[in-house]
Amino acid sequence: MKTITFAIAGLAASLLAGTALAQDKTLNMIVIEGGDTAAMQAVVDAYKADHPGIAINLQPYPFAQFFQVAELRLRSADAGIDLVYVDAPLLASYASRGFLSPIDAGIDTSALVPAAVEAGQYEGTQYALPINNSAQVLYVNNALFEAAGITPPAGLTKGETATQADIDTLASSERWTWEQVADAARKLTVTDNGRTTTYGFTVEQFGELYQLQPFGESLGSPVIGPDGYTAKGYLDSEAWTKGATYWSDLYNAWAVSPKSLGYGEAASLFGNGQLAMFAGGTWNLPILSATDIDFSVAPYPYFEGGSVVTPTGSWYVGVNAASANQAEAMDFAGYLTTSDAGTKVWFDSLQQLPTYKPLLDTISTAPEYDAFPQNVFRLGVYDSLNTAKARPVTAAYGQLQDAFRTAFVDIANGVPVADALASAVQKFESAASRVAQ
Amino acid sequence: MFRSRTPVLLIAALLAPALIGLVVFRLYPVALAVSDSFFNMVRGQQLFVGFDNYLSLLSDRTFWKSMQVTFWFNLLINPIQIALALGLALLYVQQFRGVTLYRVLFLIPIGVSLPTAVIIWRIMLTQDGLVNGLIGIAGVPAQPWLTSESLALYSIIAIATWKGISYWMIFIIGGLQTISPEIYDAARLDGVKPWQRLIFITIPLLRPTLLFVLVADVSINFLLFAPIFMLTQGGPADSTNVLMYEAYKSGFIFGDMGRAMAIIVVVVAILLIIVAAQFKLLSGREARQ
Repeated sequence: MKTITFAIAGLAASLLAGTALAQDKTLNMIVIEGGDTAAMQAVVDAYKADHPGIAINLQPYPFAQFFQVAELRLRSADAGIDLVYVDAPLLASYASRGFLSPIDAGIDTSALVPAAVEAGQYEGTQYALPINNSAQVLYVNNALFEAAGITPPAGLTKGETATQADIDTLASSERWTWEQVADAARKLTVTDNGRTTTYGFTVEQFGELYQLQPFGESLGSPVIGPDGYTAKGYLDSEAWTKGATYWSDLYNAWAVSPKSLGYGEAASLFGNGQLAMFAGGTWNLPILSATDIDFSVAPYPYFEGGSVVTPTGSWYVGVNAASANQAEAMDFAGYLTTSDAGTKVWFDSLQQLPTYKPLLDTISTAPEYDAFPQNVFRLGVYDSLNTAKARPVTAAYGQLQDAFRTAFVDIANGVPVADALASAVQKFESAASRVAQ
Repeated sequence: MFRSRTPVLLIAALLAPALIGLVVFRLYPVALAVSDSFFNMVRGQQLFVGFDNYLSLLSDRTFWKSMQVTFWFNLLINPIQIALALGLALLYVQQFRGVTLYRVLFLIPIGVSLPTAVIIWRIMLTQDGLVNGLIGIAGVPAQPWLTSESLALYSIIAIATWKGISYWMIFIIGGLQTISPEIYDAARLDGVKPWQRLIFITIPLLRPTLLFVLVADVSINFLLFAPIFMLTQGGPADSTNVLMYEAYKSGFIFGDMGRAMAIIVVVVAILLIIVAAQFKLLSGREARQ
């Protein structure tokens, strides 16, 4: 049965390839629905102006289904996709299974942030190129702080301007600690008759490794060991136990954070004035600027006595190893990530922190980035150069992400910290051992 | 020569759609699962690993914990559902004031699709939800229905039961209506008490119906996936991580199809054993009658 399916797929593919050769080339790309698709379409339109023979067809999928669709289509060597949107930490998993073609040596990556380029490599080979970076900040509702009589953390506010030098000072010497956040959050949380009407603090991505990796890293321990398959001694270390206890207290002992927030719910609670602070991505700025909330943006916090570590990493573009249009797909990937024109169109459309250095220089120096909220990207520039810590590189990233999320969701729901971490270590290591064999 | 009159071709033609459906939608996937369970994807290559996927399940703590959860879940939910469905069916066939309202109320869950029902229950079971509001009136503190290790599995049992029993009730009503009223009349003349009527007449005569409901209900509950996927994702602390969810996670989140298929084959094997045992236990006496 399988052979027949493949034969039919092969026949269909060759027929399609035949038609494509007769006319122009069409590339297919899977992307995430929404803003990302709109931004990619803008880049595609710009690309088409210079490359009239190439058509690029975007196939958008909702975020919640994207990973499964990408996994299944790549695993079945589906020649119907040429370009793939790759989440940074999944790169090793894709590359180790031969899903992606090595990036063409002709594509010059010297203008990209080195850490971002490295995160696109697996065992020394470049498999994907960074489309943009990400940065996390602390959003603060000024009115709620004022009402509670607390001084908010130093940050960037509407109506004020800040140079890159001002922001470097802010980020290096006026950054709040998680202890200060907890202190303020307890005073800001309001309960009425057993129901919480105003929450003090939350994170945007509930229980996610991307968001919470700095909890343990700031206190000195990575999530897993350098081999990519060991969690014992790392995720259950003293540092992670302390970080996870803080997480537990947010929900249980102090009850300052709402449980089980879905995607985008933190921003909407904040936008309604029911949340005093949240740690979230710079991508929330356009939505929040459209509300009448009086807010400011402070640097991502760290633990007292620990080091400053901030989340980073975002989306990459790779070429499907099964694609019949390798050269054309590579050319578009290079345009999207390493050209002045492509990176500018992408940034203008999506407003995500770039990885293209000339564009980062513009953000740091051009006067149009002096004003709020554009100057928040300068905070992103500082963090990406000084404090950003990429997620661990392992072919078992999916397993790690799941074990981590399960443990932190359980901890928020009251499972003892030591039990949850021990269970996460056991589950990750047993699932990862099946990848490492 | 007489035998040639049997319309073999007609029989074959009439059976063909059902047989083709059975092969394509039942046997082929099972065969595929069995065959995939002997392979592993290592560095992009499909490798034949023989029984390795099954052997590694033997020492897999997550798998055994999941097995335990699956059995505990089924030991509770199946008797509860069947007992309640039987009780409801007995009430349903009675004549009393307001019986129509009662009948409509208990048919509503059938008309609601499972995902819709699950979403409604999730909203009702949140910390600030309707259920906590109602028990709050009685002075009981709010309970973490779906987020506590000690309550989540029972909440799922309750939701699945609410959704399931009226469906099974309909089959049992059908069975009740096949019992001839003369038997009850005779019993009444003999002065048989109502509870004796239930134990000695109704239940024994319902045996074929109950066997069907038991087998179908056990298979459905053994393969229950949607409420767990939608409400708890196997948590908290694996307390609702049934084998079906563990297999889904293995195959579709971790890309470990070999392990996922091995778990599925184990589930199918267990189910076959249970169903065979049920047939033997419940139809044994039937054959003598």
